[in-house]
Amino acid sequence: MRLLSRVADRLYWTGRYMERVEGIARLTQAYTHLVMDIPQGSELGWDILVKILDAEPLFEARYKTYSEQNVLHFLIADEKNPGSILQSVTAARSNVRTTRDVLPQEVWEQVNELYLYTLEFAEKSVGRRNRHRFLDKIQARCQAISGHNMSTMCRDDAYRFMSLGHLLERADMTTRIIDVGAGALMDTERHNVSMDPLIWGALLQGLSAMSTYRRKIGPLPEAAPVVNFLFNEATLPRSLKFCLNGIRSELGQLKRHNDALRHVERARRRLARFDTKSTRWETLHPFIDRIQIDLSKLSDCISETWFLPTER
Amino acid sequence: MTNIRWKHNKNSPFFDELLTPAGKPRVAARRLVNLLQSLSPEEMSTRRAAAELAINEMGVSFTIYSEGKNIDRAWPFDIIPRVISGREWDKVSRGLSQRTRALNAFIDDIYNRQRILKEGIVPAEIVLESGNYRPQCQGVSPRFGAWAHICGSDLVRDKDGRFYVLEDNLRVPSGVSYMLENREITKRVLPELFENYSIRPLDDYPAKLYAMLASLSPRERQRPCIVVLTPGIYNSAYFEHSFLARGMGAELVEGSDLFVGDDEFLYMRTVDGPEKVDVVYRRIDDDFLDPEVFREDSVLGVPGIMRCWRKGNVAIANAPGSGVADDKVIYAYVPDMIRFYLGEKPELASVKTYLCMRDDEREFVLKNLDKLVVKPANESGGYGLMVGPHANRATRARFAKLIEANPRNYIAQPTLTLSTAPTFINDTIEPRHLDLRPFILSGKDTWITPGGLTRVALVAGSLVVNSSQGGGSKDTWIVEGSQ
Repeated sequence: MRLLSRVADRLYWTGRYMERVEGIARLTQAYTHLVMDIPQGSELGWDILVKILDAEPLFEARYKTYSEQNVLHFLIADEKNPGSILQSVTAARSNVRTTRDVLPQEVWEQVNELYLYTLEFAEKSVGRRNRHRFLDKIQARCQAISGHNMSTMCRDDAYRFMSLGHLLERADMTTRIIDVGAGALMDTERHNVSMDPLIWGALLQGLSAMSTYRRKIGPLPEAAPVVNFLFNEATLPRSLKFCLNGIRSELGQLKRHNDALRHVERARRRLARFDTKSTRWETLHPFIDRIQIDLSKLSDCISETWFLPTER
Repeated sequence: MTNIRWKHNKNSPFFDELLTPAGKPRVAARRLVNLLQSLSPEEMSTRRAAAELAINEMGVSFTIYSEGKNIDRAWPFDIIPRVISGREWDKVSRGLSQRTRALNAFIDDIYNRQRILKEGIVPAEIVLESGNYRPQCQGVSPRFGAWAHICGSDLVRDKDGRFYVLEDNLRVPSGVSYMLENREITKRVLPELFENYSIRPLDDYPAKLYAMLASLSPRERQRPCIVVLTPGIYNSAYFEHSFLARGMGAELVEGSDLFVGDDEFLYMRTVDGPEKVDVVYRRIDDDFLDPEVFREDSVLGVPGIMRCWRKGNVAIANAPGSGVADDKVIYAYVPDMIRFYLGEKPELASVKTYLCMRDDEREFVLKNLDKLVVKPANESGGYGLMVGPHANRATRARFAKLIEANPRNYIAQPTLTLSTAPTFINDTIEPRHLDLRPFILSGKDTWITPGGLTRVALVAGSLVVNSSQGGGSKDTWIVEGSQ
């Protein structure tokens, strides 16, 4: 089936925004739980959540302190933060609104309902009392929408571009979480070693990977096995390897895929060479940096190949 | 349980769609009226709330330009349907079909042999000097002689209970998606009535539209490439453009998605490269269609698309230039066209129209400004008109001057009294004025929607039904049998 370049573009970004919404909701929820588990006196800062999204300059321009209230407002309900749940939902909705004709009919209604729900409750859900319920609902609604797409859409180019958006955003999110989470853990100044399993556990939780980890690896989350699991477990939908493999297979079915495939292969080779036993932040961080550059180049390449007007 | 309050003016000067002057239900509306009378205000309100929720969640909206970030507005909907008997509708339908065939014959004639001008039935200068006449279309013969493929005619019912055609919209008429969504909502809100009534279904409109557009394709293909050309998300009818594209399985495109090749074929930009387009259902005005031919500053259209169309390489619906027949002066000649092209008697009434360019009629108009509605010939959307009985002396004097300065540009009609229908306002049922816009498809054959979009003025006594000015809409039922 034919697919307009402009529509492919919007589907790709729908995928990215929807994945981002779900990712932020999951991460924020896991982190809130973690904070409640940490004994008083060894509090983790809320700034980590802003760091994960690389949004410190924007945050600092808008708020004075990294208080729980401020950070959560920034992540959930801030209209000026393009990465907030509210803004990502709004962006996803406007992309779906202009691509309704290629999506299953119910998907627009579901995305629109998600939008109306977010609009009504985001601001009220910054405080701890309503936060959990709100984040739960957001995740459930995102899952319902993905589920709908997965079980009703033809596996055609429309599906592929949306899927590419999801996978790229997820790979991006996974690497950010590992990077900043691990950075915080290895920041010896504020860090109490007895808290480590809790924090690695929260990290897994934030990627929906805790129970799989327990069954595959064992009950106690520790640095090296967790990092290895999140990078290399090819069966885990939120692992870096799973995402890269997925991207490769979606790209393989598109015409004119050579350039984009080269970028994925580069990232895959890089991952294969990386020694996950060395979980020192000094080696982890530059590696993740390079993976992120690969991902960003891949995204540019996708947009140049398929989205910009083609010359005849 | 208290029943709902129902305001009905006995011996009202207006025709009511559901009730006789004595306040009894009309035959076709009996079951509906009985149901409404059995409901409490709370039950009615619950159903209205359900309708509003459905509209919100289905994302049925129209767009307002000037509301900052909130560009969508929910579509105001009244849950009480308007009921018309099948027998009555069939007559209206035949009249519409006849009228549209004559209008298409007229457009085709104007851009080719101009017989009607040569025979002096329509004065040549009023056609050729009209702003809606496009000399760039001269000599083109679209398939089946069809130009205005999608026509939306506005009908009103006067106090005598007859339907009159108020105007024909032959350029880019909108509203059909609301007609379809209204039915979906009514099915959710008043499901019990669908068991008792035999209501003509509407939902095959997109399929009919598709078949009509496909019949225009210049190439024999299993599945011709049909696109809906929209000016984009900020257009007030964007919802509809997307709705129809989806309903037909066609591509919804913007000007920048299309380009004209060196071979003078039209292409769209897809992920697999350029793809040839067969039929364009355009929802942008002639003026913006092709900057090579019409407005140079248009960024909404496609440079060169007129060259493709003139060569017969792509079909455009509605064909450029169709607007020549929906000028308000031309309107006065439609009965003559029906006689001239079809040799038939007009089946559907037109409103008596006085042309100010004719000396005797102008004199009559100037003497009776307090009784007539004066309209400029080339404007649409109710701009620049004067409703005589509601106008003050100064306004009438101003219009008298305007008419004398530029008689070609003005027409006048008697003030019609629009019919009313019971409408749920706050917690009572009250009469409100309404009109009706059916849609007529013309390709190989002519097809008419069963019913159409009923627009209702929600303000008491108001005759303004436009959604941008406080109008709403109702589901319109064409029911079978004498129930």
